[in-house]
Amino acid sequence: MMAEDGRNMMEPKSSSSDPNPCPICLGPITQDSYLDQCFHKFCFNCIVRWTNTVASKHFCGPTSVKCPLCKTENLSIIYGYDGSSFQQHYINRDLRISEFFSEAHRYRLKCYYIEPGNLADKLNVLSYWKSHKYRQQNHWLHDWLRREIQAVTQEEDVDVIVHHILGVIDSFRRDEVKHSNISTEMKQEAFKLLVSQAVGPFLTGRSGRFVNELELFLASGLKIDAFDKVYIKHLGWKIPEISKEEEESDETPEHEPAVPYLYILDQDSDDN
Amino acid sequence: MQASRARLFKEYKEVQREKVADPDIQLVCDDSNIFKWTALIKGPSETPYDGGVFQLAFSVPEQYPLQPPQVRFLTKIFHPNVHFKTGEICLDILKNAWSPAWTLQSVCRAIIALMAHPEPDSPLNCDSGNLLRSGDIRGYQSMARMYTRLAAMPKKG
Repeated sequence: MMAEDGRNMMEPKSSSSDPNPCPICLGPITQDSYLDQCFHKFCFNCIVRWTNTVASKHFCGPTSVKCPLCKTENLSIIYGYDGSSFQQHYINRDLRISEFFSEAHRYRLKCYYIEPGNLADKLNVLSYWKSHKYRQQNHWLHDWLRREIQAVTQEEDVDVIVHHILGVIDSFRRDEVKHSNISTEMKQEAFKLLVSQAVGPFLTGRSGRFVNELELFLASGLKIDAFDKVYIKHLGWKIPEISKEEEESDETPEHEPAVPYLYILDQDSDDN
Repeated sequence: MQASRARLFKEYKEVQREKVADPDIQLVCDDSNIFKWTALIKGPSETPYDGGVFQLAFSVPEQYPLQPPQVRFLTKIFHPNVHFKTGEICLDILKNAWSPAWTLQSVCRAIIALMAHPEPDSPLNCDSGNLLRSGDIRGYQSMARMYTRLAAMPKKG
């Protein structure tokens, strides 16, 4: 039956029209993906399914996969290359197996695959800049950055990057006082550019989005749990583990904001 | 499931196109089931299998190509890595060393290569393996040739 159909549908040119098929599905490649050592090319779904198949046969998941074509050991899959940036999927840095990668990390990473919608309006990003709230230290920023960078890079040890970003933000805050005549918009732009340049080497294609997320977090003035709650509610997701964590941490008073943000300033005039 | 069908269909088309290109392999898909294939392969020259035509039966799993196909000899063959009764084949690429880049066609080529280069250290056919391991090349070859004549050559009328 199948064979009969095949004969009817056969086109003489079919194989020449597709000179470089995916070695796994033998069809045209969808979402070009390359292994990071040998650069052999596959469909993203095909190569991920294969690495998952390989991983499922081992008790302690291997952190590399042999190329189906040349048997070179590869550590990651490179995909989403758009000319200047790319994404990387690490072999079996699989979020279920890694200890540091919590449910919260996963939710943060997922956020990078969806549009944030009008969250910027909800969290009053504009008034954050207009009312100079950025001049205040955010006590949760270190922890938030650490989790965020861990989520995006899927690396556990990100302290160097976090330290670097904090340094950049601190120096922005120091310099800002000297240039008080610059418009708010320009300050916002300057801030985003600075941070984006700082994280560029580490986050490549996700730098822009990261800066927006960072801005959202800072503008919210919320601590991490509350920020997550707002964010998840906004997206309409249900992640029980995060709500649970939140309840637990609510019992620890030292995490309460020492100096609440002055929301009175919300309607404050722009100094321009 | 859908992925395996699509891929087998691609292989089917490729086989139709390449039929002339590889005269040593003739792959045929079952008329009613794309997961069942048979192949006729020619015994490689300068081996005791020369002149014989061997039939292989393929059973393709639904997870193909993430899982290897199951292949066995239907034609009786005297070879260290083929079970004499069941036709089961001991070949790394059909087990641990499987890669989804292999096709049914290339598996046939690998089996032809195995026929020319037996691995007596992992025998499924101990008699055959022992002959080779003890250095009795002649003994192995004459047995293998005899079975090729008996089972893999068309009877002359």
